[in-house]
Amino acid sequence: MIGVLSYLIFFATVASILSIAVLGLNLQWGNTGLFNGGVVAFFGAGAYGTLILGGIPQDGLIGGFQLPYLIALFGGMVIAGIVAWVVGLLTLRLRHDYLAIATFGVAVAFENLVRNAAILGGAQGIRGFERPLRDLFESALAYNAAFFVFVLTLLILTYLFLERLIASPFGRLLRAIREDETAAQSLGKSPSRVRLTAFIAGSVIMGLAGGLYATFYAFISPQDVLPILTFQIWAMLIVGGAGNNKGAVMGTFLIWAAWTASGWALSRFAPLEVQLYTGSIQFVLIGFVIVGMLMWRPQGLFPEKLVVSQSAAAKR
Amino acid sequence: MNGLKTSALAIGVALGCASFGTEAAAQDCTTKIGAVLPTSVDWGKPIAATAQYAVDIANETGGVAGCQIEMVLRDTQVDPKVGVDAAKALVDLDGVQLLLGAVSSGVSMPILTSVTVPAGVMQMSCCSSSTAFTRLAEEGKTNGLFFRTFATSGVQAAVGAMVARDAGYESIAVFYKNDDWGQDIGGLIAKDFEALGIEVTAQIAINDAQASYRAEVTEALKGNPQAIYMALYPDEGTQVVREWISLGGTQNMIAANALKSDEFKENVGMEFLGSFIGTDTASPRTDSASAFVDAYTARFDGPPSGPGLPNSFDATMIALLAMHAAGEGATGTDIAAKVGAITDPNGTPVTADATGFAQAKEVLDGGGTVSYQGATGNVQFDANGDVSAPAVTWVFGADGIEEQKYISLTEVNDFMNSLQ
Repeated sequence: MIGVLSYLIFFATVASILSIAVLGLNLQWGNTGLFNGGVVAFFGAGAYGTLILGGIPQDGLIGGFQLPYLIALFGGMVIAGIVAWVVGLLTLRLRHDYLAIATFGVAVAFENLVRNAAILGGAQGIRGFERPLRDLFESALAYNAAFFVFVLTLLILTYLFLERLIASPFGRLLRAIREDETAAQSLGKSPSRVRLTAFIAGSVIMGLAGGLYATFYAFISPQDVLPILTFQIWAMLIVGGAGNNKGAVMGTFLIWAAWTASGWALSRFAPLEVQLYTGSIQFVLIGFVIVGMLMWRPQGLFPEKLVVSQSAAAKR
Repeated sequence: MNGLKTSALAIGVALGCASFGTEAAAQDCTTKIGAVLPTSVDWGKPIAATAQYAVDIANETGGVAGCQIEMVLRDTQVDPKVGVDAAKALVDLDGVQLLLGAVSSGVSMPILTSVTVPAGVMQMSCCSSSTAFTRLAEEGKTNGLFFRTFATSGVQAAVGAMVARDAGYESIAVFYKNDDWGQDIGGLIAKDFEALGIEVTAQIAINDAQASYRAEVTEALKGNPQAIYMALYPDEGTQVVREWISLGGTQNMIAANALKSDEFKENVGMEFLGSFIGTDTASPRTDSASAFVDAYTARFDGPPSGPGLPNSFDATMIALLAMHAAGEGATGTDIAAKVGAITDPNGTPVTADATGFAQAKEVLDGGGTVSYQGATGNVQFDANGDVSAPAVTWVFGADGIEEQKYISLTEVNDFMNSLQ
């Protein structure tokens, strides 16, 4: 029983961390229409930033500043934001698939950078991070539970912040730019500036997710920032429903549950002879779920609720 | 669409039935062990199959500590998130005290730091080679729970240093490829040279695919070394050596196994490679290693040709014997504490097959220790859970690559200890 509880806390922690990243993408794609194909670059910037700022000093590695944890985490977000600012300035003039290709390239470049830079741990990554307040808790389970509460709090705060943001005039502006940039511009708005703001804000949120991820595993390496993560985060948003924050969170839990539970179920129920092939079967099953969703419910589980006018919606 | 749903249902029913089948066939007492391996990758499947083969051998002899062993296999997809989740599920939901895996260091490491060490579960990897594990163990952060049967780059670095000592070089410059392997081996060998009193005049990183390495080579020439050491691949190696010799550098060269290529020899020219010596790790030349090859060939209709297969076999066998020694209901810490009793050089030698397994169990039941003679030879772990391997030195001859000298595991171990 304790085991089940322990696993569920672990699962919910990872899913909550990924949810935060998906919420960040939802601000960019769902609300502003920015096709960010390089989610891992910003996720990774947050992760590396947090471990560099908050980690212990190690031979030949940059950082090890041992800053208090919350400052390190915040610093990771700032670094993700700076990366997004530079990338945004360079690429946001591009539209749709061009932007996707450019940002994907940035993500691959980021992975190559951390793989080759010895001061960032090289291919071995950064290890030996001391998890914050670990000594206060006697059992690993109690600590994991406390860390889950911390992650959940940040998820709820991020969610509430984004809900308020998209209900505000600024949120309306984002959707206006997504739907018709020229029209927005004719009303005296500056689409390029707003797009950059949304891009940075979303990336900072992804950086937060990355920081939490690295803290939870007490480790980060180039293998954590491969393009597959970008794909997973996109799949979560598409299945949940782009443009809907609730959908983004639900999609994350659903896809991550499908991803892990399929592996578990196959290891438990598949006959011995096919055990070796369950890895491949699992990929097929996950593919089915995503393709199925796209075929039967392309708008996602929780489609975006479009409100023509806030006051009209209130009267209804 | 309905057809799809029906067939999905049919698959579900089939899977359900299959599960009843296995449960009915199970014995009264079953101990689960976990394995997290990249089975969705082609070279990962044989590694998992080899681990299962070792489990089958154990079960043939009546199991471990009186119980049959069931290996629950999970795929890592070479994705750290997926691997860690699988490991956590095995530890929490299946209650395993022993975890085999993973292959990639980038997956094994987060499993170690966030799952097995906090839960006190023993982890045995067949194939992770990163020196980061050694350093983590030295910092006392693995709690003695981590072992691996794959030799680190330390072996080749040590043998390279041995060659330099035997040749009587007093100063040397190191060129290394700028990736994880090159960074690792370049750093290690510099330390080994220093330990032997050989001066390292320069350590120079070589990036891939540069048009010229003149700047790097000039830098190395400044120190006027008696020899150079190269942990490089053939492409960069050829260019570096050409520029090195054209600028008047010495022809005394030592290199790691990556330069073991005819292409390198032809492009550089035999006349410049007269005092070139290469190093490589080798399969042990012991009866136990060839016995494994024969048994494997009989079982899988082909020789073990993929990477990590003997290592996977030994990892599983040693872990299972340690589990037996630790007795029923042993925790991961108990099992880890017994590994030394399996790989005791003074213990009763046992072979890596069903007979050997049964014999080992008897000795262990009597309170003795055994010396496991495995597919990778007479395995011995150091304090950090690392193993070493035998090595060879080789030279370029007129007809190709010729082996110069075989350095047995004992010689390698003794030499590495003398460097400490």
